[in-house]
Amino acid sequence: MDPNPLIGERLRRKEDPRLLRGQGHYLPDLTLPGMLQLAFVRSPHAHAAIRRIDTSKARSGPGVEGVFTAADLSMRPIEPEFTGENYHGAGWPALASDRVRFVGEPVVAVAARDRYLAEDAADLVEVEYDPLPVVASVEAATRARAQLVHDAVPGNSFFRRDHVQGDVEGGFAKASLIVTGTFRHQRLAGVPMEGRGIAAGRDRHGRLTVWASTQTPHMVRTGLARSLDLPESAIRVIAPDVGGGFGPKMHLYPEDVVVCAVARALNRPVKWIEDRRENLLAMTQAREQVIEAAAAADRDGRILALRASVACDTGAYSVYPLTAILEPMGTAQIMPGPYRIPAYAYTTTAIATNKCPIGAYRGVGMAVGVLVMERLMDKVAAATGLDPADVRRSNFIGPNEFPYTAATGLIYDSGRFADTLTAALAAFDYPAARREQAERRAEGRVVGIGIASFMEYTGMGSKTFSRRGMTDVPGYDSATVKVDPNGGVRVFVSCPSQGQGHETVFAQLVAGELGVDPATVFVGPVDTDAAPAGSGTFGSRAVVAGGGALVQAAVKVRERATSIAAHLLEASAGDVVLVEGRFAVRGSPERGVTWTEVARAAHAQAAAGLTAGVEPGLEASNTYDPPPATFSNGAHAAMLEVDRETGQVAFLKYVIAEDCGPQLNPMIVEGQTHGGLAQGIGEALLEEIIHDEAGQTLTATFMDYLIPTAMEMPGVEIVHLETASPNTVRGFKGIGESATIGAPACIANAVSDALGRDVDALPMTPARIVHWLRGRVSAVEVKA
Amino acid sequence: MKPAAFLYAAPETVEETLALLAEHGADGKLLAGGQSLMPLLNMRLARPAVLIDLNHVSALDYISASNGEVRIGAMTRQRMAEQSSMIASRLPLMAEALRWVGHPQIRNRGTIGGSLAHADPSAELPAVAAALGATFVVTGQAGSRLLSPGEFFVGYLATAIQPTEVLTEVRFPQIAAEAGCAFLEVARRHGDFALVGAAAVVHPAGGGRFRDVRLAFIGVGPAPVRITEAEAALEGQEFDEPLLDDVARLVSDRLDPESDIQASAAYRKHVAGVLARRALRAAAARAGGSR
Repeated sequence: MDPNPLIGERLRRKEDPRLLRGQGHYLPDLTLPGMLQLAFVRSPHAHAAIRRIDTSKARSGPGVEGVFTAADLSMRPIEPEFTGENYHGAGWPALASDRVRFVGEPVVAVAARDRYLAEDAADLVEVEYDPLPVVASVEAATRARAQLVHDAVPGNSFFRRDHVQGDVEGGFAKASLIVTGTFRHQRLAGVPMEGRGIAAGRDRHGRLTVWASTQTPHMVRTGLARSLDLPESAIRVIAPDVGGGFGPKMHLYPEDVVVCAVARALNRPVKWIEDRRENLLAMTQAREQVIEAAAAADRDGRILALRASVACDTGAYSVYPLTAILEPMGTAQIMPGPYRIPAYAYTTTAIATNKCPIGAYRGVGMAVGVLVMERLMDKVAAATGLDPADVRRSNFIGPNEFPYTAATGLIYDSGRFADTLTAALAAFDYPAARREQAERRAEGRVVGIGIASFMEYTGMGSKTFSRRGMTDVPGYDSATVKVDPNGGVRVFVSCPSQGQGHETVFAQLVAGELGVDPATVFVGPVDTDAAPAGSGTFGSRAVVAGGGALVQAAVKVRERATSIAAHLLEASAGDVVLVEGRFAVRGSPERGVTWTEVARAAHAQAAAGLTAGVEPGLEASNTYDPPPATFSNGAHAAMLEVDRETGQVAFLKYVIAEDCGPQLNPMIVEGQTHGGLAQGIGEALLEEIIHDEAGQTLTATFMDYLIPTAMEMPGVEIVHLETASPNTVRGFKGIGESATIGAPACIANAVSDALGRDVDALPMTPARIVHWLRGRVSAVEVKA
Repeated sequence: MKPAAFLYAAPETVEETLALLAEHGADGKLLAGGQSLMPLLNMRLARPAVLIDLNHVSALDYISASNGEVRIGAMTRQRMAEQSSMIASRLPLMAEALRWVGHPQIRNRGTIGGSLAHADPSAELPAVAAALGATFVVTGQAGSRLLSPGEFFVGYLATAIQPTEVLTEVRFPQIAAEAGCAFLEVARRHGDFALVGAAAVVHPAGGGRFRDVRLAFIGVGPAPVRITEAEAALEGQEFDEPLLDDVARLVSDRLDPESDIQASAAYRKHVAGVLARRALRAAAARAGGSR
């Protein structure tokens, strides 16, 4: 393949002038004549039977156009398909009819002239509940004779998998040392700056047009068609500008189905904009796991075998399209990471509880798996007296061992794990940092250094989703490249942007393949009527999958353009080369034609010059199914100081080395790394969705759910390595989640090092740190 | 998160405000900078029948000094006070405390009177008022009442302001030039409400000793807490480490904070002691200079 001269360029973001000047068009900006706004009556109970719903007062409220219960609308529950074993799913009703299973679950929808009136009327709806026993934790849900969240989910177990590969028993038997831990990872929320939102209305053909703040327009269309019992051709889904996704916006939600059903029932456009309280109650949440893990090692710190038992509190429903298995399987699968671990046994479970469902969130599964593994590596280092960096080095899979089949069954494609760590530690100046730490400690200060090495699966193809049993995820993505008659280029890719910079990188990529100016390339929004079908943007896949499809489509267009140019130049196609945007005969640069001339010829009537039999037009579409996964990797190093008396953490130094293969646009790679680190710091130190034993959320505002601000961000140095994947188009790997995956482990290791004790629970709040430091101060969190 | 319907009134004078309060009584709610009230309205946790907007009552926006006092109109924006040279020189404790109040955007809207009248137990300004012994001017149609902090703050989010009254002014005794003061707090993030905060004022008494020590805390009780026992223990003393340790212990022992999701009661007691020591040390180090 010819080199793409724009790969690696720090092109400024095409979308920024629009977005930064307030000219973006987000879902709340959409207004249609006669549009109604929806408000939901939500369950105040974590678990209750619905005895009676009285909407009569609400119906007569001012400006109210309709009040809907489940009985008033025809909607099938949202239920993902899953083909694996030991899975018991349960549909998620669009509106609860007989039973509510978490606080915030929608029960009644009110459509009114504006949101104020809709909320006023929602206040007038009377719902009588008979509270049922609540299971608000894995412990409560797995007790003998525990209350079932769903009658069809025995033992409250959505899913369980037991996996053994290699001689685990033997590894533990012959080990010189065994390190263990019980790791507790809190529940998180994805909290995009823009919450969820959806609008729907019938067009003049009677089709349903849906505008959704989503990462996955095509899967939303599939899910809506299923829940509304409509053919997909009767639904058009458009993703407008979207203010952040981070994973939760790849699911189909009850509110989405209800908005569409109400729009159909009233034959009027309907819009629902999620507010922040709804967002923190009812948008899918993340992580919450307890993991028991043990690693067996020899006296040189080489891991012989690994054991893990993962229990994930997946909440009340198994989400579409990824199911409840996503988080617990992801954790179990990534745990061996970049290390040569010959034997691995895990049990992983997805447990139903009366809490908001768990779904995708930046680093899903992996952030927790890496936390466990990297804490275990540090425990091995402590047990052997070896340096934590050396323990990792002696366990890394070597650069010549690929493709490498891990004890999970995952096949790793590439990586230079030792080089990545070495690059991070060189930038960090690890020996100097250790000296500085010693000096500060001598002054009585509490200073810790942490490192974390990790790898992540990115850009997964259909084989991964089908192997997991998630048959609702296509796994491929698609692109169309159209060259207009005057030479302008329009591209449509099945991966929409939530702010990452797709318009920039897709334009950059296709411009480089075609030899045109990226400024002339228009990247269209994802509209299922215009963009080819695909999976969407999630799992660090847009450049790998969407970009891969785009490169292949662009190559097709270029080949076709070259043959047209050859015809115009009366040369053989093999002699025509594309140089600086011009097609010329090899060796005779004066004999050439421009893209515009080629495009005009391509669109002209056959008589005007096209070869007989060649169809007019100059465009190509391509679907690309990436390999099962390509693996990015990274290493983080941090030095931090803990205030011995208050437990506050201050970063002294932070370095990230990342290897996502060839960087399409390093500026955007760095932006992803900065943002990912911010969310990783939130995960490590600040963020926690807390429920009491009755399943009530105690963190439903940003005063309680603490996300990092600019004030909490340390300066960070980023080092890039570029190890191309041998399997993907142009060797691309994903970068979207990397820093979020590495940071919690790195910071936990640094805090453990500072405190001189194992810290195996997140978040590391000041109160907990003081508790760990002082023992005598009780800092037990109030959970009731 | 849209407020329930309410009537809106925008008086331009204190007299009009009082007339509206007299008319609507407990159904009326005063809106100052809105930094606490607007979220409460949007979450429908507050549902006043009438919202009386003070933002057009320009007579309540002033900072003046007389007779050893700094008088601040209740509608003075926190950012104005923070940037006031008069407050920097005469009430340095307030200038320091204001930098802990939320973020600049919040202080641009938030008012001195609004924060004090809201009486959040974690807010910074009540501690300044408590430490300095401010006088609250609470005005009704019959005239004004002057209240001390102990009289003004009556409990969690509760003050002695009656439904027909408005806080019009707060008078702070000027801090002596040779005094040292410090305001410290621990919050989960910069700009959050304090988990614990401490205000200290000390006056040099010669020979490395201090007199007239003020020590007030936030986040550890329903209202700002002054620990006079600790102040007495420090009176006329040199602040050596054993004494500061004793005071820190005394502070921790005297306080009876509540636990919440951000921090346990034990943590708050412990950190209050830590901050007492640090604030006293910082105030002592700053004492004696001329501002």
